[in-house]
Amino acid sequence: MRLFKIALRNIFRNKRRSAMTGSAVAVATVAVLIFGAFISYMFAAFQTNVVQRAGHLTVFRTGYFLFGAGNPAAYGIGDYRSVMKLIGDDPVLKQKIWVMTPSLALYGIAGNFSNDTSKTFVGIGVVPSDRERMRQWNEFGAGRPFVPDSKLSDDDSTRGTIGVGLARILGFCGPLKVPNCPVLPAEVKSPTKQVAALNDQFTDLVAQDVPPPEASRAGGMPTVDLLAATAGGAPNVVSLRLSGADPQSVKEFDDNYVGMHLGLAQQLLYGRGEHKITSIVLQLNHSDEMSVVRARLASLFKEHNLDLEVRDFAELNPFYTQTRSFFGAVFLFIALIMGVIVLFTVVNTMSMTVMERTTEIGMTRALGVRRRSIRRQFITEGWMLGAIGATAGIAVAYVVATLVNNAGLSWTPPANVTPIPLKLFLFNRLTLVAATWIGLVLMATLAAFIPANRAAKLPVVDALRHV
Amino acid sequence: MGIRQKLLTVLAFSSLSLAAVAVHAQTAQEIMAGSDKVRNPGRPFRVTNTLTEYVSGTARNQSVLTIFAKEDKESGQFRDLIRYVDPPRDLGKLVLMDGRLMWFFDPSSKASIRISPQQRLLGQASINDVLTVNLAADYSGTIVATEKIQDANRQEHLCWHLDVKASNDRATYNRIEYWVEQGTYYPIKAKFYGDTGRLMKILYYRQFEERLGGVRPSEAIIIDAVDSSLVTTINFGDYRFQEIPEAWFQREFLPRLKAD
Amino acid sequence: MTVDAQGHPGSSVGEAAAVRLRNVVKTYGPAAVGVAALKGIDLEIPRRRFSMIVGPSGSGKTTLLNLIGCIDVPSSGTVEVCNQDVAKLSDNSVSDFRARNIGFIFQSFNLMPVLSAYENVEYPLLLVGTPARERRERTLAMLEAVGLLEQQRRWPNELSGGQKQRVAIARALVKQPEVVLADEPTANLDSRTGASIIDLMRRMQTDFHTTFIFSTHDPELMSHAEETFVIRDGELVQPETGRLQ
Repeated sequence: MRLFKIALRNIFRNKRRSAMTGSAVAVATVAVLIFGAFISYMFAAFQTNVVQRAGHLTVFRTGYFLFGAGNPAAYGIGDYRSVMKLIGDDPVLKQKIWVMTPSLALYGIAGNFSNDTSKTFVGIGVVPSDRERMRQWNEFGAGRPFVPDSKLSDDDSTRGTIGVGLARILGFCGPLKVPNCPVLPAEVKSPTKQVAALNDQFTDLVAQDVPPPEASRAGGMPTVDLLAATAGGAPNVVSLRLSGADPQSVKEFDDNYVGMHLGLAQQLLYGRGEHKITSIVLQLNHSDEMSVVRARLASLFKEHNLDLEVRDFAELNPFYTQTRSFFGAVFLFIALIMGVIVLFTVVNTMSMTVMERTTEIGMTRALGVRRRSIRRQFITEGWMLGAIGATAGIAVAYVVATLVNNAGLSWTPPANVTPIPLKLFLFNRLTLVAATWIGLVLMATLAAFIPANRAAKLPVVDALRHV
Repeated sequence: MGIRQKLLTVLAFSSLSLAAVAVHAQTAQEIMAGSDKVRNPGRPFRVTNTLTEYVSGTARNQSVLTIFAKEDKESGQFRDLIRYVDPPRDLGKLVLMDGRLMWFFDPSSKASIRISPQQRLLGQASINDVLTVNLAADYSGTIVATEKIQDANRQEHLCWHLDVKASNDRATYNRIEYWVEQGTYYPIKAKFYGDTGRLMKILYYRQFEERLGGVRPSEAIIIDAVDSSLVTTINFGDYRFQEIPEAWFQREFLPRLKAD
Repeated sequence: MTVDAQGHPGSSVGEAAAVRLRNVVKTYGPAAVGVAALKGIDLEIPRRRFSMIVGPSGSGKTTLLNLIGCIDVPSSGTVEVCNQDVAKLSDNSVSDFRARNIGFIFQSFNLMPVLSAYENVEYPLLLVGTPARERRERTLAMLEAVGLLEQQRRWPNELSGGQKQRVAIARALVKQPEVVLADEPTANLDSRTGASIIDLMRRMQTDFHTTFIFSTHDPELMSHAEETFVIRDGELVQPETGRLQ
């Protein structure tokens, strides 16, 4: 107590210098906390984005994750309704699951044969109402405000969407009214239109049997033909009426994406065979329950001898884990730099203090104070200075965070298409605050060590003689 | 007319009507079998096909291929070895078809790769299934009607209109509407439907000529119902019986194959 | 041990010396070329006396005081304070020894600026572990003895030179040490204040029977000395004759 009292008095002895040092520590604290809060928020927003889109856990047929892209039909989950019932009825899992929905991935060729364009596509068949519920998941309050999307509908399995890139390549930009979308260059458009009736031996023949294009029938929605080979190997085709284009954040995906109703996807991929799915997507109430749910699913599958495996969203989105690691590393780097700044500032301050109080140190030693006590005195001053600065920094950081959170800012994160609100997640982040405080105070303490040591080792006689 | 002549006439008429009755009593299965025979000589054979692809009525591509066909008597499965003759850049390339399996072999790289069903959705590879359909073995159904239809030359034929569905997993198309001319069993027209019920291909046969012990079509027209600007005509020429070694239908043998 | 068993002050005769130096040499710098501040001092300072060490600047006077005060160690020879050979002690032990037995009074006062007058006086008692109530009693008694009871809450920078020196004296004596060392105690004071300080020190020495050893140029203080030791060029000389002892 006495030690703290004296240390405090000594700190206030030179108010200006102490204020400068304390401010440096405070600023370092603010920097680390604000950046940490930003990253904290960003992680939450990123996770929310991924979980809204892809859920927490996905159940696949064993082997699909590694090999399925080459042949989705071979990894279909048969009798999936009973699997879903098994999962949904399980007492442990029941109250943890927010949405459980089946999904089918397939690929084929998409064609807009009215202008002779075609492109390979990757299609996802979903249950639209489930996906709408999934988009409302917002455990961390970091999601963008929910806007209902009716481009796909449970009731109309012939409706769907494509990526903006795919729309552009197939020439659907105009009909779908996609903004900022360049039209197919004229010369690439095949010379099919130019030669009108060169050889009309076929025109009548064709007209006799081939039905007119869907567009003229289906009330104005542009239609794309999707060709695929069924699981049995037969060529198959469906028509998809396009209710819009959904931009995808990654270009390769945007150029290939087709979103459709699960039923339509199953018709296309399975045709006359058993209609299966490639995945069951699970979205949980709370992200931190993922490992519990995963373990339970694994034991459930083992118990019932099901050839199924579970993957989480981080495995399915390596970008997520990579981004988190990257920003985690950047944060550590910044925290380290701030720590070093604190270190240098406090070393400087304490060194000056020691030098100024040399005579005083000599006198204290003459009075019979041991070296150890001298050292302790200065180290205490150092860490108290750090503690005061860090505490002030915490207060300032909270003020800044509150201001920013109420300022209504927004930004567009990488791999996103539309902006989301910008917030700083500082509240409820006690670990971050405590760790920063402890870390910087530790730095201040360490910093005081060298000058304190020097003070303690001063020969008494020299100290007393010091001018 | 003498009584003898009258008797002969009556006999002739009755046999005709009997024949007519017999004709109507045919099952769909028998009709399909009969029509298959028109296309299929029953013994291993070779034929040189000239394929012409038309886009919106303009000829875009022409290839000449030699087909070696042999039926596997046990399974009823047809195997085809296709060798490219023209254009010169494709000379020597081979395609092996065994039911649903297809391999492509390039003599310059000596590499053979499997063509998956995904890769046979468009282009030349997609018409093979139509030409090699094995009706009697893989389909079953009913006679819907007897009607007059026009062939590709706008000539009328009286046909059985069959509506058949795939009876096993080997069959590529789920449903086929087939018009077979009564009496001759010539296949005149066919419409092929995919698993979703959508019309995918339309096939016309014409120019029936005598060859290899029967009257067979010498030309086919295939219309793509999904991309209706695509029409392919195939001219079947130089039909010959030929004993084809089994080895020719083994993928591993392809690099060593020398065919003329 | 400032009084004998009956509580009377011991006489100077026949008693052990408070401080004894034997052949003490102190050199600064490397052995071969170093400066010898003390060249072999033999010295006995009697207990309970008001003793004075005099000599010109550079004579080694301060060095001698430092050695007596146990804040320095000799290059060779022994320094005994209260029969304790201080050179044999570890640094921590010497610190403890000082805390218990030696009081310091400096010409520049050297009070702790962040402690009040009361706290400055109290400080040595904390070092030796005196219990709180006794601490309070003795501190207040000391402050009263030096006449600063009213100013006990003042900070050193609010006190005059004379008042500061009084605090220093109180601090030096509060723990009733064996030896009090005063290095030019009146040097920074005007003559009148200096006189009152001298009075105070004399009174303290009489009241507490402490051994007072001081160095000074102040003739007033010099006139109060009971014992005198003269040092010149690192050697002790006879006070009257100036001859080497």
